[in-house]
Amino acid sequence: MYNNNNNNNLHHHHQPQISHTSTSRSSDYSAGGSGDGEPSGTGNKWASRLLKECARAISDKDSSKIHHLLWMLNELSSPYGDCDQKLASYFLQALFCKATESGQRCFNTLTSVAEKSHSFDSARKLILKFQEVSPWTTFGHLAANGAILEALDGEPKLHIIDISNTLCTQWPTLLEALATRNDDTPHLKLTVVVTANIVRSVMKEISQRMEKFARLMGVPFEFNVITGLNHLGGLTKEALGVLEDEAVAVNCIGALRRVTVKERAPLIQMFRSLGPKVVTVVEEEADFSSTRYEFVKCFEECLRFYTLYFEMLEECFTPTSNEKLMLERECSRSIVRVLACEDGQDNESECERRERGSQWSERLKEAFSPVGFSDDVADDVKALLKRYKAGWGLAQPHQNETGLYLTWKEESVVWVSAWKP
Amino acid sequence: MLETMAEESISNGFIKNPVTGSNPAVVAKKRNLPGTPGKYPVYMIISAKFFSFEDHLHGVLMLCLTPDPEAEVIALSPKTLTATNRFLCEICGKGFQREQNLQLHRRGHNLPWKLKQRTTKEVRKRVYVCPEKTCVHHHPSRALGDLTGIKKHFYRKHGEKKWKCEKCSKRYAVQSDWKAHSKTCGTREYKCDCGTLFSRRDSFITHRAFCDALAEETARVNAASGMHSLAAENFNYQLMGNPLDTVMPFSTVFNPISSNDEAVDQTRRGFSLWMGQASQGYDSFGKSTLQEIHQFGSLNPGSIYGDPMVSTSNPPVSDYQLNWVFGNKVSSGNVEDHRLSSTSLPFSNVKENGPQLVSVPSLFSTQQQSHQTPAFSMSATALLQKAAQIGATSTDTAFLGSFGTKCSNSQVQDGNKHSDLYVSNTPSDLENSANGISTLNQLQMYPAKRRRMQNEDSGGGGGGGETRDFLGVGVQVICHPSSISGWK
Repeated sequence: MYNNNNNNNLHHHHQPQISHTSTSRSSDYSAGGSGDGEPSGTGNKWASRLLKECARAISDKDSSKIHHLLWMLNELSSPYGDCDQKLASYFLQALFCKATESGQRCFNTLTSVAEKSHSFDSARKLILKFQEVSPWTTFGHLAANGAILEALDGEPKLHIIDISNTLCTQWPTLLEALATRNDDTPHLKLTVVVTANIVRSVMKEISQRMEKFARLMGVPFEFNVITGLNHLGGLTKEALGVLEDEAVAVNCIGALRRVTVKERAPLIQMFRSLGPKVVTVVEEEADFSSTRYEFVKCFEECLRFYTLYFEMLEECFTPTSNEKLMLERECSRSIVRVLACEDGQDNESECERRERGSQWSERLKEAFSPVGFSDDVADDVKALLKRYKAGWGLAQPHQNETGLYLTWKEESVVWVSAWKP
Repeated sequence: MLETMAEESISNGFIKNPVTGSNPAVVAKKRNLPGTPGKYPVYMIISAKFFSFEDHLHGVLMLCLTPDPEAEVIALSPKTLTATNRFLCEICGKGFQREQNLQLHRRGHNLPWKLKQRTTKEVRKRVYVCPEKTCVHHHPSRALGDLTGIKKHFYRKHGEKKWKCEKCSKRYAVQSDWKAHSKTCGTREYKCDCGTLFSRRDSFITHRAFCDALAEETARVNAASGMHSLAAENFNYQLMGNPLDTVMPFSTVFNPISSNDEAVDQTRRGFSLWMGQASQGYDSFGKSTLQEIHQFGSLNPGSIYGDPMVSTSNPPVSDYQLNWVFGNKVSSGNVEDHRLSSTSLPFSNVKENGPQLVSVPSLFSTQQQSHQTPAFSMSATALLQKAAQIGATSTDTAFLGSFGTKCSNSQVQDGNKHSDLYVSNTPSDLENSANGISTLNQLQMYPAKRRRMQNEDSGGGGGGGETRDFLGVGVQVICHPSSISGWK
């Protein structure tokens, strides 16, 4: 299954306990080998084959082959077609940028286009719809909230530092839990650190909504947003405004991957210096970090992950869903960024270098120790997954690992974990 | 005439037989609102205190009858209380859960006639205290008169929650609570002010936080005249029996009221279960935050929602209605042990059959709905018969569901948004949404017009079409009366 990556991954990682069935996508062609022996047009796996060949050609700097394959992909791909066509289209874009070294420019263009058509309403609709049809994000929210509530139980003054781009969709259920669980509802201060520009613009609306909702719930509430930051690595303790008497929780949803690789350790140390009661981390299960200097391997891992993601989107949304299209476009930007943009061109940059749960664990263990999720939380997660279409599962990690994995068709896709100092 | 009859029965029930006729601890939910004339005998005091947050949520005024000085206070140890085989055969020592089983067993020992009779027939009233020292019920003045009641209380409050719902992973300490919950879990639907329906509570909550209706509502609330807050306050008061902080109640909207943590007696439990179901299932924000939770308590939703002006004058009627039923039951002498908790038919079924409740409250509501002319248009006997009929109706878990399926296509609904994941409703009557009484109307699924029409038809006939779903939800559609068994 992870054939291509297992051998090459610098960090040892092993699959969570649920057995992973080998999917057809990777077994159609031999690992790492050329696709020459395969008949062309192998059912629906042509995209993967062509893309990988092209990536290899680029890595080999085989000019004519590059041209040939790019041309073929261009002919066959479409962002409005089936999964293969879409993947072909978006990865083609990244390959093209890589070959022409125009990744950063392309990314900037794509981003500004997206921002123009973006509004509070569209963002809200998008994220709520996604949460409705897929547990991809709600899984992490639920588990993290469970860990946060348990760790902060009994504390009168709470300060949650939310480093995410979830538009605060994680918090209404937490507010409700705070309002109903306790006899004395604690005071909650929520500090949101936003990294994506696209989210920044809507935070004002979000803050209003959150304040209103908290009032409705009867939870004393304070809301802060830190938007001046252009890269997460520059986040400082002072900027967060943590007070002495507060019980702090740091909540990172898809945040750590946005930090450049070398800034990750310092950031984790900074979290430690806040003295939090709990740190929750949710990340997608893919490794674009250890392979960042090996283009082909990184490409293959990227393709593997996004193939899963696109297939998931395809199954969860309706065929003509606009939200699905928006999410796919968001992926296309990430793909360009990972494959065609150089990290750390300047010190003030962001990236999207994902790492697997096991890799993050290694980093986090430098400053924290893992906290297991209670049975209650695990049950809640299972109940949550039941409410969605079939195909989703929960995997507990092996002995040395921590956290919980969300699985889609038995492949781990999202990892959530909790840590304490 | 009916009034006096009812009043008499109440008097009979409570005053005349303070010892034998009633439970020393709560049972009746009698509320005397400040400002309303003391029309009803205020023999019941008393504790208007809220002992705990759970009490608060349950929204019941805890009333203790003057403790019966002659009652025997039993303090069982936790071990005894939790023992499942309380009845022991004196001959062989075998233990049984029920007395009948023990008697059956004893016959097998071929005892001489004399010994066959039960030893020392208990004539003295027994009340039980909770063994947990920190518990309010530990003190004899707060003892419970029912052994099962105290057992359940002990488990709920101080016991381990061994039973868990598979669907939502909610935990319960008492098996019957768990069963009752399991029957209704997942059948509820949540409806937002904006009209969207949700089958999942978490997505409802998240939606609500970002819904435009939230922004509007706050604006409306702020801009509203005193009428709104007055209505809300009265409403709150009448339900909670306590002038609530209007700020506070919002959080109760999502509260699982039937947290099953507290049940002093079966009747109270009955109430809380109803209310709990209401809140659990049908949480949605309305103009009055508590309206959807305590619909039953109001017994007069029509007045409140349709016309806030009237709400202030109605509470007495609704309370009367409620107590009258209780009172009647007591006086009609069909109760062996004179405990209110076990008398009224609807309540006795509460524990076992959640869905069944739907029809019963509507019984009351119907009465109210006929334009506030007292429900007394229907004779007491007829009303009780109806209750008996409904109660006897088979209660299957699909009760709620069947309502929905039967009627989903035939009812005129308020305007609702469609979504492929949600129950679809035929849009209509957007006016209702706009005028601020949207929530209940939407929940009731009856546009105002239809309501009036039905009233004209039904008159006092057992509440023709107003099979209002008190719980406010779940039963997405209120069926045409003829399709409901037991209703004419």
